[in-house]
Amino acid sequence: MSLLDIRDLRVTIGDVQALKGVDLTVGRGEVVGLVGESGGGKSMIARSIVGLLPGAARATGEVLFDGADVLTMDAAALAAHRGGGAAICFQNPRGALSPTRSIGRQLTDRLTTHQGVAAAEARTAAVALFESVGIRSAARRFDHYPHELSGGQAQRVMISLATGCAPGLLIADEPTTGLDVTLTREILRRFREAADEEGRGVLLISHDLASIARVCDRLVVLNAGAVVEHGPAADVLAAPADPYTRALLAAVPDVTRPVARTAATPGGEVVRIEDAHVVYGSRFGSGGHHALRGVSLTVRAGETVGVVGESGSGKSTLARLMLGLITPSRGTVTLAGREPSRLRGRELRDLRRRAQLVFQDPIGSLSPRRTVADAVAEPLRAAGVKAPERARRVTAALERMGLDGTYATRRPHELSGGQAQRVGIARALAGEPDLVVFDEPTSALDVTVQAQILKVIGEVTAERGRGSVFISHDLATVRGVCDRVVVLYLGRIVEEGPVEEVFARPRHPYTKALLAAAPTLAGRADGAGVSLTKDPEEAVPGAGCALAPRCPYAEDACRAEEQELRTLGPVRVACRRAHELPDPPDREGPER
Amino acid sequence: MRIARFAARRLLQAVPVLLGVIVVTFVLVRVLPGDPIRTILGPNATEADAAAARARYGLDQPLWRQFLDYVGGLFSGDLGTSIQSGASVASEMAVRVGPTMELVVLAVVIATLLATVLGIWSARRAGRAGDHTLRVLALVGNSLPEFWLGLVLILLAYSVLGWVPAPSGRVDPDTDLTLITGADLLDAALTGNGPAFASAAGHLVLPVLTMVVVIVAPLLRSVRASALEVLGSEAYQAAAAHGLSERTLLRGYLTRAALVRLPALAALVFGFAIGSTVLVEYVFSWQGFGQWALRGLLYRDYPVVQASVVVIALCYTLIFLIADVVHAVLDPRVRI
Repeated sequence: MSLLDIRDLRVTIGDVQALKGVDLTVGRGEVVGLVGESGGGKSMIARSIVGLLPGAARATGEVLFDGADVLTMDAAALAAHRGGGAAICFQNPRGALSPTRSIGRQLTDRLTTHQGVAAAEARTAAVALFESVGIRSAARRFDHYPHELSGGQAQRVMISLATGCAPGLLIADEPTTGLDVTLTREILRRFREAADEEGRGVLLISHDLASIARVCDRLVVLNAGAVVEHGPAADVLAAPADPYTRALLAAVPDVTRPVARTAATPGGEVVRIEDAHVVYGSRFGSGGHHALRGVSLTVRAGETVGVVGESGSGKSTLARLMLGLITPSRGTVTLAGREPSRLRGRELRDLRRRAQLVFQDPIGSLSPRRTVADAVAEPLRAAGVKAPERARRVTAALERMGLDGTYATRRPHELSGGQAQRVGIARALAGEPDLVVFDEPTSALDVTVQAQILKVIGEVTAERGRGSVFISHDLATVRGVCDRVVVLYLGRIVEEGPVEEVFARPRHPYTKALLAAAPTLAGRADGAGVSLTKDPEEAVPGAGCALAPRCPYAEDACRAEEQELRTLGPVRVACRRAHELPDPPDREGPER
Repeated sequence: MRIARFAARRLLQAVPVLLGVIVVTFVLVRVLPGDPIRTILGPNATEADAAAARARYGLDQPLWRQFLDYVGGLFSGDLGTSIQSGASVASEMAVRVGPTMELVVLAVVIATLLATVLGIWSARRAGRAGDHTLRVLALVGNSLPEFWLGLVLILLAYSVLGWVPAPSGRVDPDTDLTLITGADLLDAALTGNGPAFASAAGHLVLPVLTMVVVIVAPLLRSVRASALEVLGSEAYQAAAAHGLSERTLLRGYLTRAALVRLPALAALVFGFAIGSTVLVEYVFSWQGFGQWALRGLLYRDYPVVQASVVVIALCYTLIFLIADVVHAVLDPRVRI
């Protein structure tokens, strides 16, 4: 008998049928991936497994857990089932951790409730569990609050809370959304371990087929509340039977797939950054965080530059620098021929309009009280464009994004994520800026929507008069839209060059590691390529190369001298051993 | 340690605020129409009498001179001499502040505790009969004028039921209470005077109850709204989905998170309560600060008005400092 056996589960909310007869099983020690787009009913399944359906929902069918039907359980049985039977790792762990209770206490609450750990021993047990999910200096972290954690740590804490309930079934709802490639890999490995070593059933819910595919035993594909395909992961990936699965797979941008891009002929300089350092001061003067350490970068009109790196590598700081929102503590930034740090008032505002940003959170970056037309007109209003002209240009900008006139009067909550991001792009383009910065524009979107938005961005960035910067931790999308790519590590550029060159033949160990960690559908064996030895939080860079503490190729000389960018063939690399390092295996070369 | 540094910084910031208050009140009371000398001397006094009285209180000096004298006095703890009574303002105020603070502090503390317990209770039963009843009752209490409510309570609890002592005085004089702070309940506790404690508590019941009924509604609404927000939050839902017991959820995940916004509001309510004691004191013949300040204002008793405004400003500063510290303790995300 399977641990979880869902039979013909139907859920209706009002008149809407959210689930239309779902069958799903998860056995002990098995990892099952539940894949589908948002709105497809994935979270509804998760909620019905722990008996937390919204009040208005009506469910029929059976959700058998160890033979007992969750849908008909009484309050006492349900209380024991929640956590002890099935525990959810919630999407957005920062929001799902209680902000006013220390993470240690939150874990001991679970331990004492479900495992009967005595209060006196709970602290020791909690610290041990924190360590087992990869939280460093766990004893110190015990008294920390969720807001003091980074995204990756918060996700680890969430996993420890769920496993702390000692559940038979671990449910992970979009566990890797917003995490960079190296963290995604590490977090997914934890779930595989939970199945292999602790014998739990694991249900991984995600819209991102590529990232979860390699840890799953079986895949279940959900579309509009119904299962359209299920089977062993390898079979589903290799020979998808349902058109929907094929569409999902086709939409996944694959980092190993070379993309033919017509080489743009770059025009004049749009933005030039020279040896920029940015230090965020701490509140009381001493110390401070050195976010950028001597970055030089030029973006020309007609060119798209990709910026990649792990969380905390300084990607967003670089974006804010280019937009003139922060002043470098050393070095210069020249935007459209002028230095924003030397301008004040009206001149500065005029210059800032030359550079626009497309945000990561498409809906959150639109004011909920303003209509779409209003939002898109904002940069025009700032530029002093008269109302009739403004209306004309707003309509034109929306039409270019494939949004007809009916969208103009809508408000953000009436838009889907993809539509909202189109509005965000239309808003950025309305004022005809010289530079558009895309800050992770697709990471909050479903894969199929991602593909559409990437196509739009591809068209937009192909235009001659404008320079574009595309920031992402998703290497595959960078490969699709960029001409040139810059790899950032701890505020330094470690590799820079034409995108095909860098992706096909990465020279810097860090680039190699990032590419090796990137999810692929090819099912490449884990461990191929370079992997970094430690977490970024643990590795304290010394005097030499910042990557040295994590680099498998580091030598004494690396730890002693700082690395400068050096030209090596078509690229520039900040690694003294770059020329002698082996090429990673299993990499296709670019088509020649 | 960090909290001590924060408190010290805030107290330093209060210095310019208090200086500003002193200057503004000093000017304002003199700009207001009315003459304190004429009010005490009466209509039959001659011009010479008035001039002599003016000279006695230093009111014949130029304004800047009066101000310097006043500020100089403040630094040596001299708040001036009441024009009305001729007694030292500092000693008059000393016996007045205690009784009022006793009233206000008790009322605000009880109202805050009540609001916390009832607000969370109410939120957990949102939409049910108990919740609705409680909210209507709170609204009714909030709408009643305190002087009317005070009178009704006296009529009921004293005249009809005889549960509480007569609304005159604050403690039975036969209990030989030694005054230390002026707050009778506190003094009785400090001197270990049991009968006086019981008597003072008895006298406090009605005025405190009156104020609690009037001020509890906004606090209750705030706690209930915050608690509802927490109950609907992802974090609380997540804790519930992990099967934690009702008790753990209530203590660890609901109460503290729901109280985060209360301190700031409680501080505001405290300020409001200081203002509304005037009427409550009047109804219960409570020889307090509000009555004294009001009389000072009516008779244009400059030193009394100035002193009372400075004391109220000082109270506000302290209360908001306490509220900020409590807020920081409750909410780990707040940095002070």
